[in-house]
Amino acid sequence: MRRNFTFSWAVVWLIGITVIALAAPLIAPYNPRLPVGAALSPAGDGTMLGTDGLGRDLLSRLMYGARYSLLSSLAATLITLSIGLTLGLLASGSVGFVDRMLLALANAGLAIPGLLLAMLFVAGIGPGLPTVILAVGLGGSPGFIRLARSIFKSLMQEGYVDAARALGAGRVRIALFHLLPNAMPQLVALATTHYAWAFLGTTTLTFLGLAGDPSLPEWGAMLDAGRTYLIQAPILSLLPGLLITLTVFAVHRAGLGLSTSSQPG
Amino acid sequence: MVPLPNRSHLQLLTVIGRRLIEGLFTAWAAVTLTFFALRIAGGDPADNLLAQGLASAEQAQALRQQLGLDHPLGIQYLEFMRNLTRGDLGISLYTARPVGRVIGEQLPYTIALALSGLMIALALGFVFGALAAWRERTAEGRFAAAMSDLATALPVAFTGILILYLALMLSLAIGRPMAAPGLLLPAIVLGITSSGPIGRVVQAGLRESLNSEYILAARARGLPGGARLLWHAVRPALSPVISLIALEAAYLFSGTVVTETVFSRPGLGRLLVKSILEADFPIAQALVVLAALFYTTSHILADLAAIMLDPRQRRAG
Repeated sequence: MRRNFTFSWAVVWLIGITVIALAAPLIAPYNPRLPVGAALSPAGDGTMLGTDGLGRDLLSRLMYGARYSLLSSLAATLITLSIGLTLGLLASGSVGFVDRMLLALANAGLAIPGLLLAMLFVAGIGPGLPTVILAVGLGGSPGFIRLARSIFKSLMQEGYVDAARALGAGRVRIALFHLLPNAMPQLVALATTHYAWAFLGTTTLTFLGLAGDPSLPEWGAMLDAGRTYLIQAPILSLLPGLLITLTVFAVHRAGLGLSTSSQPG
Repeated sequence: MVPLPNRSHLQLLTVIGRRLIEGLFTAWAAVTLTFFALRIAGGDPADNLLAQGLASAEQAQALRQQLGLDHPLGIQYLEFMRNLTRGDLGISLYTARPVGRVIGEQLPYTIALALSGLMIALALGFVFGALAAWRERTAEGRFAAAMSDLATALPVAFTGILILYLALMLSLAIGRPMAAPGLLLPAIVLGITSSGPIGRVVQAGLRESLNSEYILAARARGLPGGARLLWHAVRPALSPVISLIALEAAYLFSGTVVTETVFSRPGLGRLLVKSILEADFPIAQALVVLAALFYTTSHILADLAAIMLDPRQRRAG
């Protein structure tokens, strides 16, 4: 009962910010990259939440920020998913050497904390938002490969896999048409929980300035940019920080809700 | 104490030996992954410097020769591994100083921060975890469990800025300008962040052991309430906590990256961010290699400690 309550609120929150993110160009009062008035002007003075250190409208930047933060972590999650599912399927479908090599690769990757692995990729490619997305996607892969592999491995024991094999289905057919659809509920829950990590990862890397563009209207970058004015205008960094926290929390709760409902019994 | 029979000693040694070999393999694989990930993702580091306008074409070519980047990747890898076993981590591209020395200078700051952060995390985690398990159905138990959840959900960057903001407000309120943030504030931030998972594991472990048969047996032997919680229940609950500390110790490093940035504190985390922004790949590579080695070492130590603490795990291997 309680879980359902928090689950519903998490979903409502996520739908809300997704709508704002999608509609940002339509509903944002100003251009998020251009100054609209005096720097650090207070709320209500022509702008709803005041302006930042360069005189840009905070509300518009937060709206576009939802767009940048949600989309870049979504892209990172999709990268992780495609790597994790491909290699996870490959590992569970093959016996012996390939499986063991892929598992060793995933374990080696897991010996480096995901955030550091992501930072390593940024070090290799050079700062920038596309790099951050790719890096977070790659950095989260080792864990996802291992989890996907264990889900597929456990499904391999099911009767319908034997039945399909007896009917002459090949490995690829079993993987794509039998394992993948049956693993879907667990994979969706796993991907949702992973999205929380990816969101935290992207906003952390942009907070560290690794997107290379300090004026980017993105929540992590805004959390960083607002630090300079912590006394004059604390809202500039506290608000994006709060939004990041609530979103991570909501995605996490949504993932928990999905994983409890996807497991029978 | 009855001495252990010889066979179980041998069994213990086999478990430990296998764990050591596994650990060595993981460490080697992680270091190899670091090397190739950086090369494959980045292509040629000299080209990166060129592209970012940090070096001229001639400088880039000279750098390529100096770093041996004109050799095949396999040769570069062997060279890298040979230097690594000798403790040679390379030369910084930006300052031309040995990477080992640059890291050595920043290391004490991060160790001080990580250790004090871990202390605070353990204190908070144990208090909230034990309270949540011991007073499970009361308001304070639920409050303690909620605190662990909250600590887990808070991003380090936000906790850091919130604590910094509160400290600034406090110093304004008492009319004294805040001195340069020392160790305490960053350690609190790091501690809060890591206390969440510790609290949850302590809670889960204690709840399980409080309901177990050996606690029932101890109670049947007439053990009083307080001592029962303290020793009998905590000891088996400790081994997952110790494994978690090993995990956390490596993740603490990710936390210090953010904490050091928030508080403008010197240390390895700041060094890592700086080296990435300056395209100083030998430093970034060395830091990730060290993190991976540290992670595998602390993991092995945690597993050995678990074997010592919980006799049931000696049979696992």
